[in-house]
Amino acid sequence: MRGTLAPGHHRRPTCWLLPVVFSVLFLQGCYSFRPSAGGGQTDFDPPRTVNPADVALPAGFRIEAVATGLSFPTGVAFDEAGRPHVVEAGYSYGEVFLTPRLLRVEPDGSLTTIASGGDNGPWNGVASYGNTFYVAEGGVRDGGRILRIATDGAGSRASAEALVEGLPGYGDHHANGPVVARDGTIYFSVGTATNSAVVGPDNAEFGWLERRPDFHDVPCRDVYLAGRQYESDDPRGGGRVRTGAFQPYGEAGTAGQLVRGQVPCNGALFRMDADGRDLELVAWGFRNPFGLAFSPAGRLYVTDNGYDNRGSRPVFGAPDVLWQVTEGAWYGWPDYVAGQPVEDERFAPPDGEAPQFVLAAHPDGPRRPEARFGVHSSANGFDFSFNPDFGYVNEAFVALFGDQAPGTGKVMAPVGFKLVRVDLLSGVVRDFAVNRGEQNGPASRIGGGGFERPVAARFDHGGAALYVVDFGVLLETGGETVPQPETGVLWRITRSPAEEADVP
Amino acid sequence: MNQSDTSRAAITGSAGLRGLLLVCAAAALAACGTARRAEPVTGPLLTTDPLVQRGAIAYARHCHECHTGGEAALGPSLNDKPLPGFLIRLQVRRGFGAMPAFDEGHVSERELEEIVAYMRALRAQGRG
Repeated sequence: MRGTLAPGHHRRPTCWLLPVVFSVLFLQGCYSFRPSAGGGQTDFDPPRTVNPADVALPAGFRIEAVATGLSFPTGVAFDEAGRPHVVEAGYSYGEVFLTPRLLRVEPDGSLTTIASGGDNGPWNGVASYGNTFYVAEGGVRDGGRILRIATDGAGSRASAEALVEGLPGYGDHHANGPVVARDGTIYFSVGTATNSAVVGPDNAEFGWLERRPDFHDVPCRDVYLAGRQYESDDPRGGGRVRTGAFQPYGEAGTAGQLVRGQVPCNGALFRMDADGRDLELVAWGFRNPFGLAFSPAGRLYVTDNGYDNRGSRPVFGAPDVLWQVTEGAWYGWPDYVAGQPVEDERFAPPDGEAPQFVLAAHPDGPRRPEARFGVHSSANGFDFSFNPDFGYVNEAFVALFGDQAPGTGKVMAPVGFKLVRVDLLSGVVRDFAVNRGEQNGPASRIGGGGFERPVAARFDHGGAALYVVDFGVLLETGGETVPQPETGVLWRITRSPAEEADVP
Repeated sequence: MNQSDTSRAAITGSAGLRGLLLVCAAAALAACGTARRAEPVTGPLLTTDPLVQRGAIAYARHCHECHTGGEAALGPSLNDKPLPGFLIRLQVRRGFGAMPAFDEGHVSERELEEIVAYMRALRAQGRG
């Protein structure tokens, strides 16, 4: 490069090359050459350390652990007296089956079992209406159900019944929610069977393809296929198979093929009355609409986990989002990402091409999310602040479970593992509760006794206390997902009268 | 940041080029400390500059998902890289490696200017 430093018009191409090279080095950061550094890519020696002082909050707030030793908790709700109840999932990625439970958290942190289930978890979330609890049973073995667990108020007796059964929750994602509207109507969701509508070897790794070899995504309305087919190794017995969208594994589908819609279906929100009658579709085209909440103004919002860079139809760089729900609308899955067509080059994996549309026509125009979260952050349960004493009124507090890299796609640093707040007017997402340290990540990776994987957040009846459900340690190591029972925590965040806070 | 005459001169002139090399080398070696700018850790970004305020919104819409809060995530951290504005603009418009290019149909010139202003403010936030 002799002569590079000499001025002159003919040197300009060389001069411009340098910034390009440096940009590649410093901003792009050699993505392709660096190994994944996900939050779960670490080691863990139980027991889990819990230390609220390791969680940083805005000035004027304090956090405490109100229950520890939980196994795969996913949600919190309150009875009429305001006592917190948590659900333990009873199933976790990694194919670990325990007993799902509804537990009352006593003032001293001890746990009282209110109800328990079988091996059809995960129990993904809980809502309450008076002294009645509604639980979404994911349905990995027998299909999803929405359970009603009525208690006598004293908590000594409870009866459980299924309000709806047979929800298509056998796959990657399950029955989720629920949330109860002011009039008692129950809203819940069902996630998709697959990453992007095509069953593949990645679903065998999840564990369900062996259990349900014919299972696939079901659309809520009639759709016509574009005829794309995806070839993959057959994990069931070797060889290669071709699979199409909305088809069982190994069935290719054809261009113009009609796939009949039905309800219940995948990637959708539903509602029914308090007795399980009049089940109907609210909106569809989601991927994994995990968290549901009503704003103080009574509008329904949902968090949606974005596509992964995995499987036969990988999608790169898809964010998790927060949607405001419009009645009857289609939200884009499996052909749009947060309102953008999946065929856009930005969604091409670094070593591949952008996905192509699998639908010949689309039911609705693309929609724009209210907020966008980190790619693979797993935006899950959330709630809105409504009490001025807590502050941030009308903002959404969202639990970010954290990445599951490298299985879901490579990341350059842990993504998620914290609680954020969303200003719905601007779409700006700000950290609210995070682990201390020079790098973000779960405590099991960065040290200390702070958060592992926040999975749900809900205010108490008065809105003065925000409860955060921390799923606990879940490792992604050696090509396996390895959840750690008895590492879950229920946290409580309140404004501290001892400190002055500058909170709107 | 506009691609000003000054910056052009810095690139084409020998002294300027040495300066650029120094900046890049410093960035490579030091990466300027931690990229952490989480509000509970460093405090809120207090600004009355409307360009920065609009930049926070544009950043949330276009950048946050891969560089959450300017920290590393799917992509690398930004808060610890003392890059001049024109290099940020170049990266956004042309894309490199895993980062796609964003043309004006995706990120307008005005938004890009706001994003650069916000990134500078966020970067300075960590220096207290």
